[in-house]
Amino acid sequence: MSKKAIVSLLVLSMVAVACATDTTEEVAVEEEHDHSDESTLDEVLERGFLKCGISTGATGFSEQADDGSFGGFDVDFCYAVAAAVFGDYSKVEFKQLTSAERFTSLAAGEVDVLFRNTTWTQSRDTELGNDFGPTTYFDGQQLLGRKADGITESSTLADIDGLRVCTNAGTTTEKNITEGAGLAGATIELVTVEAFAEAVDKFIAGECDIITTDGSALVGRRAVNDALNDWVIFPTSPISKEPLGPTYRSNDSTWADVVNWTVYATIIADEYGVTSANVDSVDTDALPELGRLFGANDGELQTKMGLDAKAFYNVIKQVGNYDQIYSRNLNPLGLFREGGANDRWTNGGLIYAPPAR
Amino acid sequence: MNLDYKKSLAWLKENLFSSIPSSILTVVTIYFVLGFFRGLFGFAMASDKDWLSVLNNMQLYMVQAYPEEDFIRVWISVGLALVFAGMSIGLWKSTEESSLSDVFSKFLRVSLAFLFFTVVAPTFSSVTDNDGLIQTEESFPMDTRLQLLIPSAILVIVFFVLKNLNLNYKFNKSDLLCFYLAIPIVLLWIVKLPTIQLDSSNQRIIPDPLMPIADTTKIPWTIIFGLFLGFYFIGSRFKDSKNMKRTMSISWVLLPLFIFSWIFKKPEIDLPTILGQDIPIFIGIFLIGALTITFINNPVVEKYFSAYLGILIAITGISLFISIPILLKSALLLLVLFTIVIPAVSSSSKGKRNLIIVWGVSLFTLAVLIRGGSSDTQIIVQQQSIFGGFSLTWLLAIFGTYVSFPLGVLLALGRNSKLPIVRLVCTGIIELTRSVPYITWLFFASVTMAVFLPEGVNFELVVRVLMVTAFFSGAYFAENIRGGLQSIPKGQYEAADAIGMSPFQKTSLIVMPQALRAIIPTLVSSAITAFKDSSLVTIIGLIDFLTIGKVIIGTQSIPVNFVGHDRENLLFIAFFYWIFTFTLSRRSMKVEKRLGLGER
Repeated sequence: MSKKAIVSLLVLSMVAVACATDTTEEVAVEEEHDHSDESTLDEVLERGFLKCGISTGATGFSEQADDGSFGGFDVDFCYAVAAAVFGDYSKVEFKQLTSAERFTSLAAGEVDVLFRNTTWTQSRDTELGNDFGPTTYFDGQQLLGRKADGITESSTLADIDGLRVCTNAGTTTEKNITEGAGLAGATIELVTVEAFAEAVDKFIAGECDIITTDGSALVGRRAVNDALNDWVIFPTSPISKEPLGPTYRSNDSTWADVVNWTVYATIIADEYGVTSANVDSVDTDALPELGRLFGANDGELQTKMGLDAKAFYNVIKQVGNYDQIYSRNLNPLGLFREGGANDRWTNGGLIYAPPAR
Repeated sequence: MNLDYKKSLAWLKENLFSSIPSSILTVVTIYFVLGFFRGLFGFAMASDKDWLSVLNNMQLYMVQAYPEEDFIRVWISVGLALVFAGMSIGLWKSTEESSLSDVFSKFLRVSLAFLFFTVVAPTFSSVTDNDGLIQTEESFPMDTRLQLLIPSAILVIVFFVLKNLNLNYKFNKSDLLCFYLAIPIVLLWIVKLPTIQLDSSNQRIIPDPLMPIADTTKIPWTIIFGLFLGFYFIGSRFKDSKNMKRTMSISWVLLPLFIFSWIFKKPEIDLPTILGQDIPIFIGIFLIGALTITFINNPVVEKYFSAYLGILIAITGISLFISIPILLKSALLLLVLFTIVIPAVSSSSKGKRNLIIVWGVSLFTLAVLIRGGSSDTQIIVQQQSIFGGFSLTWLLAIFGTYVSFPLGVLLALGRNSKLPIVRLVCTGIIELTRSVPYITWLFFASVTMAVFLPEGVNFELVVRVLMVTAFFSGAYFAENIRGGLQSIPKGQYEAADAIGMSPFQKTSLIVMPQALRAIIPTLVSSAITAFKDSSLVTIIGLIDFLTIGKVIIGTQSIPVNFVGHDRENLLFIAFFYWIFTFTLSRRSMKVEKRLGLGER
């Protein structure tokens, strides 16, 4: 072959490669959009699914079942937001987050919203660049002890004088119990562990007399382990306030409205007793608030938020109202709404939603 | 028999009770070993343990959220690996034979172990009650023990007699291996396991009814085993074919890549991208490579070859930092690698033709793998990554070894190189990677790496972790290999120089084979470490095998309550890891034996 042939073949191959690069759409290289002026809602709609941050494992709140499916109180609210945005509750991608990485993950845009039993506090709201939605579960730190140690339901922090207390290291739980015991004048021996499950194991093994964490977790564990009802949860009013609810990036009120009103819609439906079973037979003329919420009169309230007119109808139909979500996930653990902070406001609880009009 | 008995008594006396200190040592050690096993069994059999929390969550352990309708892909992956294994066992069929007595002595050992465990298992185990007091309960009653003792004792006697009949039938060792593998498959069809069943009000039925193993488990395994046998026979037919063996070795290297990029992932392919992008790139790069191979001996080309190589390396270097398809980047890299070795290999026309075929095949394989690997997956999982549980652990372990081993070889050679720049860079990479803890590198991957990557390039977390893992274990491999390199006497290098070998030939034919052979034990322990270290990814939020058992199962309350059953799961995880690492180290010992390591 002559030199000419070599050169022409070489040129040909160069052209072939060049052709390819010209017609290329970016495949491996993801183009970074400038999201600064775009609401999370637009991002989520464009993507086609919601990214929801949940806990790696919290009994009753976020669990993964043996077939890999997700369930729980927090998980159901993720489903509810997806149902509101897409009309299909299953369009969620879950990211299981440890408590250390939840806020960085949210700030980095890896998740759109956190439903990760996160307590609403002043510093988290102001310093960390988060905004908090309506509280879905009012929790509070309590203690668990044994009747054998003379603990009763009416015991107070003063009664734990001289006992060994197990709790998670470096958490607000630890801070609360040390401060609380100090104020009550009780000297305690603090045993810190890495995870709450470990604290329970130590409690069962008799290495500590008291364990302390959020009341919801204590009730769940007592239901499983304590067949003889020897374990007592006290004091009746928790030693700390732990309002748990959705968290999203700050200064994005379009997205905040979507998340907040999804939660409110489940609460309003509960006030009217509308469940996923009877949502189709609701007389929207007799109950105008429900009519507005479920998309009657062209669903003006929803469409102005950037959602479908039937958005909240879908939430109730596919996921259920607040009471359904609560009882489905938390009643089996022995957590009931009646008489507690999570009861309807009409029954003296704190679950309250602004009117839909 | 009588003689045997006397012999063993003498052996005991000589080895275990030779002096007073050694007798004490023997007794104390036996006491502790027995205590350990008794404690373990007591723990496992106590009534407050729910072993179904392990059994019921097998799917979660293996693939986490991988959807059931795509399970066929998982089975194909497992099946392919076993089919390849069958083929390889056939191809490299052992010529050794063992007699029937050997087989029975193996069975005897297994039944003796069973007997031993039945005897040492404690009758009572301790359970902590709700007051924190330790209670003892009868967890292994005498009649249950007898029910197990009698059959196992009979088995021991039967196998002992059979063994001592000195039956002289010979079996091929590879055939025997297939027979052993058939045992668990047969057991799958016989054994009944307690299974969780829910009654009409969604409550668990206690005690759990015994049920045969689900068809969805045993049928795929049986089919896979059938294929394994089939390919074993095909393999043993071709056991003299060198080409088949070579193809098989290369297939083993490609198999994990193929599984993870095509089968497990179900990539989304659109035809325009393939036609408009992949095929032109493939043709173009292929032509450049083929032309270089064909005209390498042309005097004009030869004169400008080093200039051409330099330009190619420069272009490739630049291409890494601009946004072009990833296929083009990797094809360029491959082109550079090929161009470096071309002058050494292609002198005859036959060599050239072969090299063009090899070039075409490797480029095609690269294109196929990259297309699968860089496309989005069509598998919809409810969580961030389709890799979770054991599939993630396995992914990290395989890539921790497959990618980092060649990298380690290159780094080690680079560190020993005479070129100062190469040596400096390689030493720098090795020292930098080794002097920082693995966990720090993981945090680097999860948090800081985005800052270091070029603008607009964005990898998934799993991929970023794979990248740091490759470098981290690569650095360790490099140091091990360097140790091997230094163990080779200078005479070997000089002899290679004396017969006029090129540096490439010297390294690939003389130095590396000896160096690698010398360090097999360290290489295996590095691989085992990579496998175990993969569980550290849990701290950056990836859910691996360990995390499933430690965090997720212990919080399940719906539909079955497994809250607090994390200790059984930890024990199971330890056992599972042990099976894999133990098999690996046993295999490596066999390889060492075959290579005659430690005998020179």
